[in-house]
Order: sequence, then C-alpha cells, then structure tokens
Amino acid sequence: MQRFSRFAPLLALAVLAFAQPAAAQRAGERETYEHVPMPSGFQVISTELEGPVFADARGHTLYTWPRGGQRNGDAGEQQGRPTCDDTKYTETAGLMSPYPAGLELPELATRPTCVQIWPPVLAGADAKPVGKWTVVERKDGGKQWAYDGYALYTSVLDEMPGDTRGGRRGRNGGNGGDGGTPRIVAAPPTDIPAQFGIYSVRSGRLLALSSGFSVYSYDKDTATKSNCTGACLRDWSPVLAGETAMAKGDWTIIEREPGVKQWAFRKKLLYTRVADDSARSLEGSDEAGWNNVYAQKEPAYPAGFKVQDSYAGQVLADAQGHTIYIYNCIDDTFDQQGCDHPGAPQAYRLAVCGGGDAARCLATFPYVLAAKDAKSGSRAWTAIDIDPKTGRHAAPGQADALHVWAYRGRPVFTFAGDKKPGQVGADGWGEFHGARNGFKAFSIRDDFKGNAG
Amino acid sequence: MKSNIQRVLIASGAVFALAAPFAANAQEGQEVVRDRSIAYVMTMEEWAMHKTPGAKAECPNGMNEGPREQFKVLFPENGPKRTVVGTQLARESQIYFPEPEKENMPFKEAVGPVVPGVNLDGKIDADDFTNADGGKGIDNQFFRVIGCVSSYRDVAALMVTKWRVDNSFNRVVIELTDVDDLVNDPDVTVTTYRGLSPMLPDATGNGYMPGASQKLDMRFGKDFITSFKGKIVDGVLTTEPADYLMPYQALANISTQLFRGVKWDLRLTQDGAEGYMGGYVDLESWHAQRQESISTHHQSYGQESSPTVYKALKRLADGYPDAAGQNTAISSALHVRFTQVFIERPAKATAQAGSQNGISR
Repeated sequence: MQRFSRFAPLLALAVLAFAQPAAAQRAGERETYEHVPMPSGFQVISTELEGPVFADARGHTLYTWPRGGQRNGDAGEQQGRPTCDDTKYTETAGLMSPYPAGLELPELATRPTCVQIWPPVLAGADAKPVGKWTVVERKDGGKQWAYDGYALYTSVLDEMPGDTRGGRRGRNGGNGGDGGTPRIVAAPPTDIPAQFGIYSVRSGRLLALSSGFSVYSYDKDTATKSNCTGACLRDWSPVLAGETAMAKGDWTIIEREPGVKQWAFRKKLLYTRVADDSARSLEGSDEAGWNNVYAQKEPAYPAGFKVQDSYAGQVLADAQGHTIYIYNCIDDTFDQQGCDHPGAPQAYRLAVCGGGDAARCLATFPYVLAAKDAKSGSRAWTAIDIDPKTGRHAAPGQADALHVWAYRGRPVFTFAGDKKPGQVGADGWGEFHGARNGFKAFSIRDDFKGNAG
Repeated sequence: MKSNIQRVLIASGAVFALAAPFAANAQEGQEVVRDRSIAYVMTMEEWAMHKTPGAKAECPNGMNEGPREQFKVLFPENGPKRTVVGTQLARESQIYFPEPEKENMPFKEAVGPVVPGVNLDGKIDADDFTNADGGKGIDNQFFRVIGCVSSYRDVAALMVTKWRVDNSFNRVVIELTDVDDLVNDPDVTVTTYRGLSPMLPDATGNGYMPGASQKLDMRFGKDFITSFKGKIVDGVLTTEPADYLMPYQALANISTQLFRGVKWDLRLTQDGAEGYMGGYVDLESWHAQRQESISTHHQSYGQESSPTVYKALKRLADGYPDAAGQNTAISSALHVRFTQVFIERPAKATAQAGSQNGISR
C-alpha cells in the first residue's frame, strides 16, 4: 500500500498552501479515506470541496467520465474504453432535445479537442496494475491509467493542487441526464463504518446513514455520555453500533446502557431525527442544541456574502440579500465540453441572459463585483477579471475589466428580477430548467427538492 | 342560476368523490370546525376550460404546433447551414426575451361561448364567456390562449395535480377563520399557507382522506400567506379579491406564479371543498414560471411554443394596465379541489429560527 507518491514531500508546501482546511473549519476536520494501493507518481489530496481525491504528481486532481444517459443517447466512457481523443467536433450530436443533431457549433476556429481540455493520464510502457488502478489502451495505441476501470484525466481548469474545477462528485457530479455527462473526481473510498455514508451537499460533505438520512449531534452530550434520554428519545434515535462494531480513527463507540452501544464521530454521539422524512435533511439543526454532522464543511464564503432565507430554503446572497446564481452549461457534443466558464464560448449564456445582447445580459444577470483587493481565504472562491463585452477572461491590464467573484473558477451572478431579499426568480432560468445553459440559485439548504446537494 | 361550484360538481361527477368521505366523518362525529376555523389542502387543480371530444367545438381550427414543428418550418433542413447560434440559441433567446412583434408563427385561439370561470370584474363585457348554467360575465381570457395547446389538456393537465400532491414546495393549504356556520356566515377570513406534511391517500389511491394534519410552513413559506375577506352563502364561499403568490412545482423544478385580484368560489363541506380560484395571471410572472417549470424539451411534448403563446398572452391580456395602457395580466380560473385537514402550527422558536446551524457562515 502506498499512501503518497515519492513526489509528495516535494509538493508538501504547495499542498499545504492551497489544499488546507479553510479558516472556518476547525483544524483536523478533514474527511478521512481508505489508504488503498496506488501506483507511484500518484497521491491523495484533501480538497476543500470534494474531500480526498486522487491527484497526479503535481497535485492536480484526477477525473473520470462515466457514461451517462441523455435524452437521445449516451455520452461518456465505459470501463476500459477511453474515448476522449483529439477529434475536433464541429456539429451538435443531437443527444438532447428538442433541437436536432447537425447544428454547427459556436466559435469553431478556436474550439479545442477533448484531450486539450482533459489531458489523459498516460501510463508508461512498463506500467503495472496496482489494486483498482489498471492500464487501459487508448484508440491511438497509447496507454492510460484507469481507476475502477475508468480512464483518468486531469483538467486544464485546475491551476493549483487541490483545485476541483473540472468536476464534482456525488449528486453534484451527476452522471448524465439533462445537465449533461460531466466529469467526476476520482476518489479513494471514504473511511467510515459500513452503516454510514458521506454525501456532497452545498454546505459540505454531510455525514448520514448509508440510506442517506442525516445524523446529528447533541450539544448536551459528552464524548462518553448521552444526555438524550426519556422524552428526548421520542424525537431522536441513537445510531446504534452492532455487537461486532469496532472503534477506528474518528469513530468511537459508547455503551449507553448495558449491551446497547452507540456510535460517536469525532467524540460526538450520533442520532437520527425521527421527524426527518427525506434524505440529507438539514432540518434537525433548527432544533436548539442539535447539529448536522460533517466530515468536512465547505469553505467559508467571502466577506460580503451571507446566507439568506428564501421561499426555496436557504440560498447564498450578496450583502443586500439578493440571491446568488450559478450558470450551468455543457454543450451537445460527443465530448461534452463545458460552456459554463469564461474560457469557453459565451454564446450560450448570452442567449439566455440577454437574448444575445451582452449589455442586456449584464443588466439582467449582473456579475457580483469584488473589491480590488478581495481575498476569500479559499481556492473555491476567487476574484477574477472579466471582459464585460464578451464574458471572457479580461486581457491583462484591460481598463474596463470587471473584477468579479467566481466559485470554482466560474463567475456568480445576481438577477435583476429579484426585487427583495429571499426571492429566487431565476432559479431554473434557461434550457432544461437551468441545468444546461441556464441559471440555478446557489442553494445551501433546500427542504423541498434536494437542490442543495 | 346555479352557482359555479354547483355546475362543477355535477359536470365532473365529483359529488360522489366528496360524498363518501363526508359520510365517513359524519359517522365518526368528528368536529372539524375547531376554534371557529377549518382548513383544507389542495388535492386537484386544472385550468378551467370548456372541453369537448377531440376539442372540435373549442378548437375548430385544430390544435397548436410546438417547438419541434416550428423548428422545421423556421429552419428547414434543406436551407442554409444550420448553426447553434442561428437556430437553437435564436429560439431560446425568443423564449427568455420574447419580441412578439417579430413572432410570426401561426396561433390557434380557443373559442367559446361556454367557458367556466369567475366573473372577476363584476361586469358583463363583450369578450366575456357564459358558463354552462347560463351565468354571464365569466372572465377567462386565458382559456383563449391555452385551450388549443395540448400541454394544458388531458394527460399533461393531470401531471399538474400529481406534482401538486407529490411535493411540499407547492402544497396549498387554506384556512377559514371566524367561522360561525359552515353553511351561512356573512364574515369569514380565508388565509393561504404552504403545507409541509405528506398527503394522506385513501384506500382507492385516487383520493385523499379528510382529517389528516398539515404542518404549516411559517418560515420559508411566508411569501405564500395571503388573507381574503369572504362570506359563505348556502355552503358556497366567495371572497373579495386579493393578490396571491402561488408556489408551483413541475418535475423537480420550483417556481412561483403571481395571480392578481384572486377571488375564491368554493362549495364547502366538512370534508372538502371544490370550485374555482379565479384571478388575473400576471404575464411576466407566468412567462418566467412556465419556462422554469417546463423546459422547451418538455413543452415540446405538449406542442407548446413559448414565444407564440407569449404573443397571444400579450394580445389577449385584459387586466392591470401599466402606465402605457398595456394590460399586464390576463383573466383566468383554476378548477380546484380540497380535502379537509387539521393544521399543525410549528413552534414559534422553529418558525422564526433562521438557524444556520451546520451552514458555513
């Protein structure tokens, strides 16, 4: 078993600088993982948003592209069969609906190929499989590393160790459907007892039962004694540990009463909430003294942002309470290129945010401006310069550039139609309810439709 | 003249649906008007329309065409090279930033003269409809827009009710307070809320049992709370108009719809209520809600073309003129059905918690 590569010590500073817990998280509160066997040259990095992920020697996150169904066909890769190559697609694939295949793509002259965006993680001629790491053959005869059968890639969007701008995992990562077939981070198994699961939600990596139902901790407990007894047990159920369950790492077990054992995570006894009727609920945290439990929380939002109650739950908002929106876009091609960031064609976004008019787009979906010296304290949130006329990255020194906030390297927006705090009038604005060429509210807590996770 | 609700009950056969549960509650002797209040949860909604077999009477020119059919006409396969920007995105631009003056696709308007609904303005105008009982002055211009669009009829219409009962974002609860008599009471108050509790299906699976509880959403659902002054005459509740923001959900997509000048017209019993929610659909709210709920792909199933429908909405709008005299809303009516519930109010601490436990900052 090899936890870190031989390059790891050399990268320690970079990893510490960019992949350490954000200020709002308590030291050490990072998700742990199983130390699975890895080939040399690879490592596991603890990232702000996705927890532990596999990375190459530079610390750049590795991604896979599992096949996913869309309206009229599949995109992505099967195990052992990488398809991302140097083909330059010129027309839509017709995977989506109602528009037909064969439409000429925007900005063809500068359109990259799949491998220019997703460099394959090539394997040497003498590379040997290790555990779930295998070597697969590319169509051009080259060899490529794969994990769990899926070919591995890095993303040109990732600039620093710990960046995960190329994709997400869990429910946020998705796997086909109306949002396209995205790349997902390659990650080692989470190191938790079998009856638990960790789920990516907008507020962090949420600890829950394997069924998805949230677990909670109680402020009045100690590390070894539960103070939820009597009437308390009508509303909260201790998460019991089996007879053969063993303590390990962050996980301990107490004996509530003779023969009745209860799980604890990081010295917090765990419960489920009887009234929860949906998975990944955050409702129990409304009860005084009770808290959801996270393997790790999302980094703190930059100054000037706040959590706002809305009719859809809690959303991220600007200082005035106006809802923040994320723009989603994957094109209708066989290589499923993202069009949701300033390095990609802006024609899609301009169509739905301004009818093709950049000025109207700026007025309808204004960028969230950042102060000149704005700092976020995390890599999840950065301030970037945008050319307001094109929506692309501004040229260095460009006089009219807008300095704006970006999440995962993508600008965030407000909506001019939201006239008061708590309105989410543009949630779902754009194609496929905002999932594809459209806007979704930056939902943090959604008691209604699972939009926040 | 029979009331609107009487007409609805007879036409839909809903008498039987309501009568059975009434008997059940009566047998149990359960008192459902408590502390001078009674509440109901919405179990069915459909746009009030005049429907004939094959839509032959109301759509003499046939049904409208949708995005797929229009795309073929606008951008023929044997025409100039089709591009994403010149076709798909051009059409999506017209959906989100419609220019009715440039929209030239044909539209087939539904015709009356018999259409259900509510007399919203108290007048009998030339373009008003007559209901099946001969009642005049029915304000339902929205019917002209959607009556010949498949999305709003039959199976597609049933989905709306399914989404209404399957989800809690859009669960509508009404509470009547100051109730002294459920048959005749000159002064009651009707308040709308969002309910959070699952519905209680009956043994058939097609209906809902009265007597269940509904927890009110007093935290995130404040925008959906509206009060109406009303009266009950011979078991029929009618109200004064008030604006109402209604939560909507289609599939997993949420949105809201602003209705202006809503009037309720409901026959009440201890176990349920049925009738109309009449009001003026705010056009911009409607247009945004429709796109956010039902994508172009899904609208294609029901041959609903958003740019073409929007042009018709603007042309037929009949209420709430802006400063330039352009009407901003269109008269409409929803046929609705409710089942009696008992309200569960959240503890004050939770309702106002605004808790951010577990949330970063």
